[in-house]
Amino acid sequence: MQRVRVAVDIGGTFTDLQVLDETTGAAHAHKVPTTPADPSEGLLGGLREAAALFGFELGAVSAILHGTTIATNAVLERKLPTGALISTQGFTDVLEIGRHFRSRVYASKAEARALLIPRSRRFGVTERVRADGGIETPLDEASVRSAAERAGAAGAEAIAIAFLHAYANPAHERRAAEIVQHILPGAFVSCSHAVSPEIREFERTSTTVLNALLMPVVKTYLSRLRGRLADAGVVAPVYLVQSNGGVTTPEIAGEQPARLLLSGPAGGARAAEILAAALELPNLIAVDMGGTSYDVSIVDGGVIRLVTQGKVDGLPVRLPMIEIRTIGAGGGSIARVDETGRLLVGPESAGAMPGPVCYRQGGSAPAVTDANVALGRIDPDFFLGGAMSLDVAAARAVLSDRIAQPLGLQGDAAAEGIIAIATTHMAAAIRLSLFEKGLDPADFALISFGGAGGLHACDTAAEIGARRVVFPRDPGTLSAWGMLFSDVVHDLARSRLMRAEGPNHAEVEALIAAMRAEGEDMLTRDGIAADDRAYPVALDLRYPGQAYEIGVPYDGDLDATVEAFHAAHQRQYAHAEPHVTPEIVTLRMAATGRLSKPSARPFETTGEPAATLTRTIRLAGERQDATIVRRETIASGTALTGPLIVEEAHSTLLIPPGWRVVVHPTGALIADRQT
Amino acid sequence: MAELDPIQVEIIRNALVAAAEEMSVTIWRTSRSSVVRDILDYSTCVFDAAGGAVAQSTAIPIHLNSMPSCLREILTNHIPLENWHEGDIIICNDPYAGGQHLPDIQTFKPVFLDGERIAIAGVLVHHLDVGGGAAGSYDPNATEIYQEGFRIPPLKIAEAGKRNEAVVKLLLRNSREPVNVAGDFASQLAALDTGAANLQRVGRRYGPALLKAAMARIQDQSEAAMRAMIAAIPDGVYDFHDFVDDDGIDRDTPLKINVRLTVHGEAVSIDLDGSSPQAKGPVNCTLAMSLSAVVCGVMMALGTDIPANAGCYRPITVAAPEGTVVNARSPAPVANRMATGHRIVTTVMGAFDQAMPGTVPAAYYGVSYAYAMNCFNADGSRQVYFDLECGGWGAHPEEDGANGFSCGLHNVSNAPVEMLENTLPIQFQEYGLVPDSGGKGRTRGGLGLTRAFRLEAPAGVFAANLERFKYRPYGLAGGEPGQPGRLTLTRAATGHVEELPSKVARLEVSKGDVVRLQTAGGGGYGPPGARDLEAIARDRSEGYVTG
Repeated sequence: MQRVRVAVDIGGTFTDLQVLDETTGAAHAHKVPTTPADPSEGLLGGLREAAALFGFELGAVSAILHGTTIATNAVLERKLPTGALISTQGFTDVLEIGRHFRSRVYASKAEARALLIPRSRRFGVTERVRADGGIETPLDEASVRSAAERAGAAGAEAIAIAFLHAYANPAHERRAAEIVQHILPGAFVSCSHAVSPEIREFERTSTTVLNALLMPVVKTYLSRLRGRLADAGVVAPVYLVQSNGGVTTPEIAGEQPARLLLSGPAGGARAAEILAAALELPNLIAVDMGGTSYDVSIVDGGVIRLVTQGKVDGLPVRLPMIEIRTIGAGGGSIARVDETGRLLVGPESAGAMPGPVCYRQGGSAPAVTDANVALGRIDPDFFLGGAMSLDVAAARAVLSDRIAQPLGLQGDAAAEGIIAIATTHMAAAIRLSLFEKGLDPADFALISFGGAGGLHACDTAAEIGARRVVFPRDPGTLSAWGMLFSDVVHDLARSRLMRAEGPNHAEVEALIAAMRAEGEDMLTRDGIAADDRAYPVALDLRYPGQAYEIGVPYDGDLDATVEAFHAAHQRQYAHAEPHVTPEIVTLRMAATGRLSKPSARPFETTGEPAATLTRTIRLAGERQDATIVRRETIASGTALTGPLIVEEAHSTLLIPPGWRVVVHPTGALIADRQT
Repeated sequence: MAELDPIQVEIIRNALVAAAEEMSVTIWRTSRSSVVRDILDYSTCVFDAAGGAVAQSTAIPIHLNSMPSCLREILTNHIPLENWHEGDIIICNDPYAGGQHLPDIQTFKPVFLDGERIAIAGVLVHHLDVGGGAAGSYDPNATEIYQEGFRIPPLKIAEAGKRNEAVVKLLLRNSREPVNVAGDFASQLAALDTGAANLQRVGRRYGPALLKAAMARIQDQSEAAMRAMIAAIPDGVYDFHDFVDDDGIDRDTPLKINVRLTVHGEAVSIDLDGSSPQAKGPVNCTLAMSLSAVVCGVMMALGTDIPANAGCYRPITVAAPEGTVVNARSPAPVANRMATGHRIVTTVMGAFDQAMPGTVPAAYYGVSYAYAMNCFNADGSRQVYFDLECGGWGAHPEEDGANGFSCGLHNVSNAPVEMLENTLPIQFQEYGLVPDSGGKGRTRGGLGLTRAFRLEAPAGVFAANLERFKYRPYGLAGGEPGQPGRLTLTRAATGHVEELPSKVARLEVSKGDVVRLQTAGGGGYGPPGARDLEAIARDRSEGYVTG
């Protein structure tokens, strides 16, 4: 190989690699265990293995696109430094008060609300900016010095600064940051106007606090990674995957680590978009089913939507991110019979450790995977490509003891019941994701990936009334594959409440010009050529008085944007008010630097032609003989019909009776319902 | 009787819950007013063919049981089931015919499959304005329900698929917000269609007989779970009482809420006899409202996540003498029923503490702190700033109460200060926790909140529906009560601080005047002397407790 582009997706259990030969377009997948103490060690190990396996020099790597859950895990596991918050006097409790809404309605103990900086390390300073950006009370620098000294005395290494209306006028935050840096020279300082310059104080403060606390975590990791890569002779630039689906440089990621927080689904979403184009299926329901959770995102007209806010451990993160709905349904989801005789499946999960009973790792509660094993749908000797031998007898025994006997059922009926109930949960999640946008499941195909998804995708599609399911290649590393085709994206924003009408056009243009200057600087630093830059703008609009906004593209013609807003409102909410002038809440720019896109080579069959093996499995209450095929042996153009089990290294697919499956030139299997 | 296995029951249950949720999403997606979409003041319910609740989708506890009791009242006393035909929609908002307060309009649609009624879909929406003496149909001065807006007795708003446009027109003509209400009402009816289509799909898939059997089993399962929890409580009679400060008109007379809880085997009865006579001001509850509050109190005392349906209510009986504040006679006003509703919840929970000490938390802040400033701008325009606040949770025997968090009947979001300042002529001075407001105890009550703002318009009129200024949230097992709420107005002209009562009907305010609301903290649990030293040190270092 000459030059290769490498994508690395580091998850909690596995580090997935995809290597793309930029000359031939051939892609190769590899998977190694994650090394939690220092994930860069596993990354380098995996890279060396891939180089040996696929035959390339480390010096020939042209770019590394890197997805990591390091920021998310640091928050979930509270491996964060001591932090302090400096805010406007009288509003230091905003971080603790939150937004009041509770999800467990009758709990007699309140649900836990994460609080990353306690009251004793939150300091108020004398200053006040008004909603229009005017100064009501000048910054009292002595109160900032005092706050910084107290923060230092309390051992704070990371300082978040969040003042009211700083998105409208950042002068006070900027000056406060200078003072803090002067008093605490080694501290990591993060200002709200720089992290999330958007209106709504709690969400902006929460995002800024997360950002400040993550700076040392991410910077330490990136400097280790840089060292390891340099030692190994890798000279390629590294790009980090962000929650918005784009990538950024290590320099920016170190300053703005909150942008990595919800990047987990980004690779899969990008892959789904690419496949939607390649397969000419613009409407896709992308479902990623792993051991613990089931993630649903919607490709609508070829694109996955971004939302402007997400949550980590219940804490709001006000930054653009891929829209996703997650429920607790996965291969590890635990089934149990409750005291009233209900059969419940999930959301509790056995996870990867101890995992389902059949894993022989000490798991004692029956999981969805145990049900699949008991029904013969998973080959116990070919799990993870044969790396793990599953205990069928133990799975059957626990299903019988814990589920079938208490319910007075046969063991197989109990196992099928568990799967049927899990399917209803997944179908309900999909229906809601479509429904809230006014979309109809019948217009969509399902695209299934993640280790556990293949066994349930056709059933779930049937449940929602969809007739087509797409199984992409290498579903276990699809997220890494999607990352190969990322662009650099820097999200910029300015919140400024004003009517979307002529007199404000000049101010809109001025704000956009300022964002563009900022974006140009960033892309120049990234080394993006002028021809490869784009600066799409969107305005978040609403009718006056509403609490939610809709993002609408803006190309300089405010009237056209307003028209598009009315239409979008009509589509999404089934009514519009064309005579009402909407108001602008936030202006957004996605400063984009296009990275070159090597084209993927068409799929080629490898291995022996399909053998006609069969295995007896249980489907719809009956024993049926299913054809068993290894995925890589199915020739392009071949059509197969269910009942069929397709086995591959990290996944098993079930094609039920009444479904017909063909191979697409991309290597994806496309299953269509015949009845 | 169709054969029923437990897996089918669970699958059908999930389908019915999904039907309720999809109705809910339909309202969220298509409603017009921000009250509905932002505050989420609506709920949806799926009933069996006889009107028993099977599945609900709601985040606001006051709505729990609202629709089931309304439907029962309609079926029993107004429109019997044999007169419900395909394509009909029955509507009601009359508190004296099963409704809640007048803005809550409830609608029910029977669902038919091949001529057989298989279910009923229900939707309740809080509408922005249904007329009456004050904007939002929330008149603190009302002494009769006729001052609170239009009443809709149970009637068919649609018959055989045809909407009665004359009635709709009549209603809209009486609202200050006809466009919003028309839009929200259309969305309410659209949600019923979504629910009906879904229920028909479920009915077709499983067959009416299996669906009916599964609906019955779902209710039986919840009933069995409730009965098992109740059976674990020692039999006996347990008394508790608490007070509502006043009705806002007669400010010197507290209103007593009295609960006698009888636990007998697997059932409980709650008798509200001994509660005060009905009030002149609008804090009255009808029996349906009291029922709702009692159920909420029972569920919270048990801390249960049993799926709420008709089965949950079967082990609970409620009695309340007519003519009291907990079972008012027409035409008593009811708009601010939440004052009494919250107090029923805390009183029921107090009675359960007697029955099962060591498991029930002390009293929470106990009121939805609702207030409004009508701002008169220099250009003659008017803007209304409306807000809702909460306070501290009561201490749980095992942990401190939550600071400033929704509890009990109340569950809505607060409004961002920055958003309010961008859209209204007000500027905030403070939004924070109130140190020392949580009741002391072995575990401490949660802290109340302070919210203070200054009027920037030349003039304004302020109104408030608050509570717990006189009667503090109680402590339990030797814990002290939480600090009461407080409302002040600081006049810009003189610097004079006026202490305001909890219920304010019409207070004229000038530019620069500052309104400061302080909400109640929760009660403490256990003797304060038994609090561990580490917790005491943390209270001090965090400034939750001063001195």
